[in-house]
Amino acid sequence: MNTLVSVLRLPRGPDPNGRGFDPNSPRFIAMCPTTISASSETGTDSVEIGEEQRARSALRESFLRTLIAMTNKQVQFHMYERVKVEAKFGASDIDVLNFQVSELQTPIGVQKEALLRAKHRKMLLMTVYDADDPPTELPTDD
Amino acid sequence: MAMRQTPLTCSGHTRPVVDLAFSGITPYGYFLISACKDGKPMLRQGDTGDWIGTFLGHKGAVWGATLNNEATKAATAAADFTAKVWDAVTGDEVLTLAHKHIVKSVNFTQDSSCLLTGGNDKIIRIYDLNKPEEEPQEITGHTSAIKKALWCNNDTQILSAADDKTVLLWDRNSTEVVKQLSFDMSVSSMEYIPDGEVLVITYGKTIAFYNALSLDMIKTVDAPASIHSASLHPDKDFFVAGGDDFKLYKFDYGTKEELESYKGHFGPVHCVRFSPDGELYASGSEDGTLRLWQTAVGKTYGLWKCVLPEELVSENSDTIYCTPAAPEIKA
Repeated sequence: MNTLVSVLRLPRGPDPNGRGFDPNSPRFIAMCPTTISASSETGTDSVEIGEEQRARSALRESFLRTLIAMTNKQVQFHMYERVKVEAKFGASDIDVLNFQVSELQTPIGVQKEALLRAKHRKMLLMTVYDADDPPTELPTDD
Repeated sequence: MAMRQTPLTCSGHTRPVVDLAFSGITPYGYFLISACKDGKPMLRQGDTGDWIGTFLGHKGAVWGATLNNEATKAATAAADFTAKVWDAVTGDEVLTLAHKHIVKSVNFTQDSSCLLTGGNDKIIRIYDLNKPEEEPQEITGHTSAIKKALWCNNDTQILSAADDKTVLLWDRNSTEVVKQLSFDMSVSSMEYIPDGEVLVITYGKTIAFYNALSLDMIKTVDAPASIHSASLHPDKDFFVAGGDDFKLYKFDYGTKEELESYKGHFGPVHCVRFSPDGELYASGSEDGTLRLWQTAVGKTYGLWKCVLPEELVSENSDTIYCTPAAPEIKA
């Protein structure tokens, strides 16, 4: 009688919510202690690393505040094939791969709710303006 | 009592898996990268198949993928006419190298300083990764799409296989052809083993072994079905092959005898590679999965657990197994 070799468990599959590369894994921590690979060359000066961490935190906070400030503002996306679309910005996902927008004005009509994917966006040129006071000329991507 | 092979299925890809590669052995184990037509190459822990991350950025099918020895860098070749270099620890894209056609093959030198690419534009390119803005060195000569280009002989030479039914050995400095192998049909895969300088080539139902320096043939073995990929064990006692009939075959390298065949995949097998320690081999298939297979069936390794004979004959043997007794484990 042939018996099947037993296994402890099945291999873990991908996380549907992110792209992985867990920053808490031993390998990541050992090889990217400050999350900026260039800065690891400066040595293990804890004061410098602390300052760097503070700067990184400030940048992260600033980015998140920008996203919050953009909520419900009119924005314009530059897509492929010279298409520019306007919408009301909703939210971004954690990897900045997808943007949730409302009232997306497309060449073929207005989409009430939509998800704009990173691979479909040519450029993150988002011009945020007050809908009641739009600028007369918007910057281009030239 | 014979043990039956339990392959470990790694799911996650949504289209056929067309290429895979292992890193060397690092302080954190060894790693596996898979190239898939879904455009999202994945990094996995080599001995368990656990997913680590997905390299996001390509806009087309990924045809080739490789890791450097230390598994700190990854490179991918895609149908979006680019090859990309990635940080394999963070998953970040480091470099995009634009080509003029579909890129099929990528390969790092031993010190990871240069990247070799080849694809449908029939040109082999060498990129200096320390000077990425510089134009690559180009090597022309093939008259059809290049399937695989590999560094060999301590990175002083290059082996390339193309749809023009030739395998060419080039000198890196002179960029001239040193030797040539011609076949009656296209080569389906090529593996280079630096230790012992062995080249494994598959075409039709044949798995052929050559001396990588002289391109003298060592031996050929015929399989029961058309073979897409084969891999030689690091100790050169076995080799494995897979192809059109969905099965994995294991052969004795010395006697050329077929030892085992394993069913499991639900589509043709496109790629198969031994791990750097030879304890397992990984296969990628049209069915969108990777499977890990034990070299020594029944041995405790990775996620496989050895069950002692006394436990097997006990009256309560059904409580020994960690998974429910099922003839096929599907993931």
